[in-house]
Amino acid sequence: MNAFAANREWKKALLFSLPMLLISGLLFLSGKPLTNPAKLAPAVITFLFINITFFCMIYTGQTHKYRSRFFILASLLFVVSFIANLIEVRGTMELSAANMLDGETPLCPLVIPMLIIPAALTHTIIFPGSLFAAHAGVAPMLVLWLGFSLAVGRGWCSWICFFGGMDEGFSRLCRKPKITAVDSKWTALPWAVLLGIVLTSAATLSPTYCAWLCPFKTVTEFPAIESAKTALQAVIFSSLFIGLVVVLPILTGRRTQCSLFCPFGAFQSLFNKINIFAVRINRADCVNCNLCLQKCPTFSLDEQSLQAGKTLLSCTKCGKCIDICPKKAIAFHIKGTPLHLNLQTARVLYLYPAFTFAAVIGGGCIYGGLERIFRLAVTGSMIH
Amino acid sequence: MLQGFLLGLSTGATCLAYCAPVLFPYLLGEAKSIRQTAWTLSRFMLGRLLGYLVFAVFAWLTGNYLNTLTDRREMLIGFIYILLATLLLWYGLGQTSVPCAAGSLRGFAATLAQERPALFPLLLGLFTGLNLCPPFLLAFIAAGENSTLGHSLLFFLSFFAGTALFFLPAPLLGLGKNVSQLKNVGRLAAAVMSVYYFYSGLLLLWGGMISS
Repeated sequence: MNAFAANREWKKALLFSLPMLLISGLLFLSGKPLTNPAKLAPAVITFLFINITFFCMIYTGQTHKYRSRFFILASLLFVVSFIANLIEVRGTMELSAANMLDGETPLCPLVIPMLIIPAALTHTIIFPGSLFAAHAGVAPMLVLWLGFSLAVGRGWCSWICFFGGMDEGFSRLCRKPKITAVDSKWTALPWAVLLGIVLTSAATLSPTYCAWLCPFKTVTEFPAIESAKTALQAVIFSSLFIGLVVVLPILTGRRTQCSLFCPFGAFQSLFNKINIFAVRINRADCVNCNLCLQKCPTFSLDEQSLQAGKTLLSCTKCGKCIDICPKKAIAFHIKGTPLHLNLQTARVLYLYPAFTFAAVIGGGCIYGGLERIFRLAVTGSMIH
Repeated sequence: MLQGFLLGLSTGATCLAYCAPVLFPYLLGEAKSIRQTAWTLSRFMLGRLLGYLVFAVFAWLTGNYLNTLTDRREMLIGFIYILLATLLLWYGLGQTSVPCAAGSLRGFAATLAQERPALFPLLLGLFTGLNLCPPFLLAFIAAGENSTLGHSLLFFLSFFAGTALFFLPAPLLGLGKNVSQLKNVGRLAAAVMSVYYFYSGLLLLWGGMISS
């Protein structure tokens, strides 16, 4: 690339990044100047990080590399801010029966599939949260989830899910996978878990996944361990966290929790059917090197799908296969348009909604975590 | 009743995956329109329901017989639950093969289809319903826990309703292409539900030990 072309690309990327600068400014800073100096530094760092990440994505044409860094950092800082907040408010990560009765639990998106049948049959939300609470109330979270799901389908799992970031972080620690062959039958497990938890939640009118299986309770909040039953639940969810979120991703280099267990991910896959964005393989350019198939973090490509020029329903649109394809045969695609046309336009049109939501949720996590870390540095404690 | 429905839902995908190779060629080959397919499927499902109701009576009789054998019925049922849940787990995760009962009747089926075409889907449904796989055995034991024949019949009726949900839209969905994946989902769902039954068995056993 000569100097003129490079200069032109740079300006073009800057121009494409301007809307994100505006959107993130409006959404993240709420359009008001921050007056509290303790909040200003983390806010400015987060704001810059969001926009530099987006600019780099546009300028370099690399999606996965920058998305992944943002995603992992947001996830780690989510844990920092969430736990610090719990300690500040309750003094513990444990959730007591009184907290549940008071509806103090923020709605976790993973609960959504379990809410549907009981809500339809009994007009009850089987979750100990508040409907309109300012912090992750049931109604605002449902609206946010629905909007994002319609906009980017299962892209949720690679752009917004703060739990998925942990899985991805550990999977990236693996330079050379120790386990390379995973039987494809295990990719059906999330659907089986989804079926199981939807049914048992409907039968018991309680979110059974949260009570028994959710691995992320290990790093968020969990019911107070007061009986043999809650102790057993703690053993189960912490074992699942260690096995699926830490050990297996390190050994396989894949997001094993997201792709081989998470029922919400399976549920979210259904939105890929109605979402206009997809990842497509141009068969004319593909040389069947199978690199995409081997490296896909969520097992969303197999030989059959590769031959068909499509990813599987479970594709999280993370962009890894697109970045690593040596022949540039894989691209983001708008359904209904010809494969070889407007590849960059399709990519940019996908990046806007995906990254806007990522900036809103992930940016909030990064800001929250940084604020706690700054407070620790200044006052010696993360909490008030 | 809800338990029966849930067990039916969890095992329905497997039932469908195993019996689809027997059912669909017949359905697709015989019926010319959606209306005809629906009529044939209705008779098939009726046969299946009849098979289940016969089993409900047997389950109730078995439950009553168990009552006469021991006064520690809860413990016995709990033990059987644990045993069958383990079997269900093995069935879900292992390489076991439980063939569809109707699959072994291909020769007889061909004759019957020619001589009694109206009766054929009914009998096909009856034989696909009588499948001694672990989920079915669990349903049998769960139904046997009921004290009255009516409850036992209701349990199997709801079990039937749970499995039926998988059969109803199948001819319209072109399921043939994805049978293998559906089989995986069904088996793994059975394994997931086995954990629930294992836990229920443990609770029954524990409750029985405390009360005795």
